[in-house]
Amino acid sequence: MRNLFAFLYRHHVFFVFILLEIVAFGILIQSHHYQGSRFASSAQAWSGKVLEYFENSVDYFSLKKINHLLAEENAQLRNRISTSPISHKKNNALPHQYISAKVIKSSYNKRNNYLTLNKGRLNGIEKGMGVCVNEGVVGIVRDVTDNYATVMSVLNKHAVISSRFTKSNHFGEIVWDGKSHHFAQLRSVEKYVDVSIGDTLTTNSFSSIFPEGILLGTVNRFERDDSENFYKIEIDLSVDYSNIDYVYVIKNLHGKERLELESKLKEND
Amino acid sequence: MNNVQISGYLNPYIYILFIMLLPPKMPKALVLSLAFLTGFTVDVFENSYGIHAAASVFMAYVRPTVLSLVSVKGGEDLETIGIRQLRFARFFTYSGILCILHHFTLFYIEAFRLNEFIDTFVRALTSTVISLLIILLIESVRSNSHK
Repeated sequence: MRNLFAFLYRHHVFFVFILLEIVAFGILIQSHHYQGSRFASSAQAWSGKVLEYFENSVDYFSLKKINHLLAEENAQLRNRISTSPISHKKNNALPHQYISAKVIKSSYNKRNNYLTLNKGRLNGIEKGMGVCVNEGVVGIVRDVTDNYATVMSVLNKHAVISSRFTKSNHFGEIVWDGKSHHFAQLRSVEKYVDVSIGDTLTTNSFSSIFPEGILLGTVNRFERDDSENFYKIEIDLSVDYSNIDYVYVIKNLHGKERLELESKLKEND
Repeated sequence: MNNVQISGYLNPYIYILFIMLLPPKMPKALVLSLAFLTGFTVDVFENSYGIHAAASVFMAYVRPTVLSLVSVKGGEDLETIGIRQLRFARFFTYSGILCILHHFTLFYIEAFRLNEFIDTFVRALTSTVISLLIILLIESVRSNSHK
């Protein structure tokens, strides 16, 4: 027994090292599970406060730009109401509620990028909700605390966004290879589909996260490899991830109902 | 600290200077714990879930070995570490090796895929160079102000 203690003591530095590495990797692995990542997010309550404080102090410099953006958006929305009652009606076909939030922290040049919002559970935000700006899709809510939320950006290796071509309704999945924040990749588009440069991609109605028709980007470049069944397509993302100030979190009021219905299908199989 | 985003391939991390400068006589287990806390704090702000903690702890673990490379008695004769104590060439080697180890561990854990090997390599290398430059700059200003 004494030998054991002596042994432990002699190598205690190594054991502390191993222990701390296990904890660190534990946090990392846990974060990949949808249900996990409680540990890191409980700490967000205090880190959120600090980030908000910093963001507030630099806010004043961008007031002019934000004003301009809001005015532009206002005008667009007003146009939509007055000129096209049909599209207005179509947007209401699926009941979605929009919650506006401010981005207090974001990144775009890492392999996995996240945003932190200044609103959380108390404002009605829940895990798994979609997040967009006027120009298009931003990401999906990852973790929520009472007052803050983190968003997994499209610029993340874990993000897969289902999309469709507006002209042909063919669908594909948008993923990001980690290289440039202007471009993402579109996969699972079969070779018989007619693709040309400049084609627009929007969200489809397959998932209950995003309503149909939110802009994702346009085809920038594509390649047809005869040895494979799918296209290699590069998408010019419509959102400038280096410059996001305010976002909308999308709440699907019928989302739960739909999930329950679809999970019944799986049970029956 | 981490609002420094120069371009897509550059993410310098300066906080490791804190771990580099801890006194050599400090108990190693304490150094490891401090490294973990520093890394974890950065993780919380970066939403990076433990990767900074892992890389920092690894860096703190190899620190004594690197220190013994640049000083005769493994740093036992030094009260503190700095450009003044080690002279520029040895401090450059010391911080350079630690910076490379930290950044490469960090970027490869983050990518966690070998098929992005080259891309991650470029990313880690450019960031290391910038981090090291800033670290040397801060350290030379710091040690001069102590005179």
